Amino acid sequence: MKKSLLFRMLGLIAAIGVSAITHAETPDPAVTGMLGTSSGEAIYEQICQGCHMAEGQGAVGAGHYPAFADNPTLLSANYMAATILNGRRNMPSFEHHAENEFFFPPTWLTDTQIANVINYIRSHFGNHNTDTISAADIAALHAQEPGK
Amino acid sequence: MHEGRSSVGMTRRDLLRMIGMTAGSAAMYQAMTSLGFAAESNFSGMPSLGAAPKGTSVLILGAGLAGMVAAFELRKAGYSVQVLEYNDRAGGRNWTLRGGDRYTELGGETQHCEFDPGLYINPGPWRLPYHHRGILGYCKQFGIPLEPFIQTNYNAFQHSSKAFGGKPQRYRAVRADYHGHIGELLAKVTNDGGLDAEVSKEDQQKLLASLQWWGALDKNYKYTKGIESCDRRGFNRDPGGGLSARPELSTPTSLADLLDSELWGALPIGDIYELQQSLLQPVGGMGRIGEAFARELGPLIRYRAKVVDIDQDDSGVRVSFEDSGTPGSRHQASADWCVCTIPLSILGEMPIKVGQPMAAAIAAVPYASSVKIGLQFKRRFWEQDDQIFGGISYTDLPIGNISYPSDGFQGSGKAVLLGGYMYGPDAMRFTAMTPAQRIREAVIQGSQIHPQYPAEFDNGISVAWHRSPFTLGCFGMWTEAMREQHYDNLCAFDGRIVLAGEHASYLPAWQEGAVTSAHDAIDRLHRRAIAHGAKT
Repeated sequence: MKKSLLFRMLGLIAAIGVSAITHAETPDPAVTGMLGTSSGEAIYEQICQGCHMAEGQGAVGAGHYPAFADNPTLLSANYMAATILNGRRNMPSFEHHAENEFFFPPTWLTDTQIANVINYIRSHFGNHNTDTISAADIAALHAQEPGK
Repeated sequence: MHEGRSSVGMTRRDLLRMIGMTAGSAAMYQAMTSLGFAAESNFSGMPSLGAAPKGTSVLILGAGLAGMVAAFELRKAGYSVQVLEYNDRAGGRNWTLRGGDRYTELGGETQHCEFDPGLYINPGPWRLPYHHRGILGYCKQFGIPLEPFIQTNYNAFQHSSKAFGGKPQRYRAVRADYHGHIGELLAKVTNDGGLDAEVSKEDQQKLLASLQWWGALDKNYKYTKGIESCDRRGFNRDPGGGLSARPELSTPTSLADLLDSELWGALPIGDIYELQQSLLQPVGGMGRIGEAFARELGPLIRYRAKVVDIDQDDSGVRVSFEDSGTPGSRHQASADWCVCTIPLSILGEMPIKVGQPMAAAIAAVPYASSVKIGLQFKRRFWEQDDQIFGGISYTDLPIGNISYPSDGFQGSGKAVLLGGYMYGPDAMRFTAMTPAQRIREAVIQGSQIHPQYPAEFDNGISVAWHRSPFTLGCFGMWTEAMREQHYDNLCAFDGRIVLAGEHASYLPAWQEGAVTSAHDAIDRLHRRAIAHGAKT
């Protein structure tokens, strides 16, 4: 189905959705995004722990959610940032996308929120990384993505 | 949502809130899946495969609808079939929670369903559109009784916490007022000559007549307080008999208030192809379908089998699995062919011997977050106090909507309603809560629509789909770009393996997607098997 037709059929809902999110997003430390907080801990508790659990212990069922405790991939803040921005397998992207094709609003995080939650995870759940990542670092990662 | 800068006249916060109100609802979820991705189910009739090549076996992974449809049809054709299922029950997302059921979500919390006998919620799919002929066909084949699912109820509420002082409005009144004002505006434009270039004089008369009827306009083509408008929006006091017979007219909401309220956003939900009446539901819960398949297949399904490795070569398929009854135990199953219906959320991290195109497709699709909350109340106050018999009230609160039972009307006992159905950010926040917090929040929020909630609440249960051990998510979120790149690769045979399920369909999250994808997969499997010939 052509995009134009899709949006026409979706009518006002999609039109609103698109107009709401098409203008360029510029990093702004005053912007707290959709959760009303920039606190890494609060973001973790409202979003991340849904899958990665309250103690960062992850979970195992038919598949699994990775634990953060003693997780060597946490050594790389950039790896975490790429995961949050792009998603990874069944984990959705939390980047602020220009268009929303879905019938429900996107969940997205500002660069500041992403940096803060990464720094929170890397310094909690038994992790003691002392280096941090900044909102500017996250912004630079956006710029590296193809098509931007 | 605390960003307040203006983008296109309305603030972004306003826009997101509006999307949240309308699009966060259950119905808009269906809207996208129906309108965005699939205008119709490409149902071409129940499969009639013909005879299987002698001695040919098929291993099916997953006893959800796709897997069981495949098993049922392939067995009928004469294939030797085995099904491996992770859960200790069949059905997958086709699932009904009833009193006495127990559910342990990822993270380890176990909820005990304490509903009264006969009461239930469907944590997954809950509606059968009239044109989903595949799933309806199996209901008929298995003798599963169906009853109406009420989607549109003119007496249900449209609620905005930020309009009309937070007072819920009746769907019929919002609809009547919206149509009435639009009709009046269009009639005015017509009478002012604004349509002279587009519409002939003769047709303008017909247009005016239709607007008068459609919008309930008076003889002057105005939408005003009067018997015409009350005939649609209802009365302050209904007409009656005897000395108390005289009706009291109600007053339409002004166009400005109506537009500001944004309650018009949910009006067309019941017009969406997938949500038009008649919708149907199995009597006793959607899970009746999965249960019927499980009865048909009997011992062909091996339960508590957690697949951990999928291997294949020129001669067949070998699958390793653990029996969750005896942890650590490794078992193997093998067959000539494999229909794999394991959700991509799980398949994506499993060793599976397929080529790069299918592997990339499996890894590409994120899974949506969704939460459903069932609440049992001591009485049917929505019927007794508010005259709401079935249907759905929509709200801008995070719970999204309240859906009333479509059965058991006027019953005197307890009853269960769907006290929350969320997608997007609200679903993520509710997923991150404990089950007890979810119930508490749903009761607090629902009280804004039904003040009877706190006094009448009895117990509740919730399912947050990202915490479901057997799916790790609700459904595959395909974008158009992803479909172009990966969809055909996902559905194409890779050696002796083919995938099926809602994720391998243009009907995401719909049971019909699972059914039709299974039909398509087994048809191709059968043709391949025929080409390979009988086993010696």
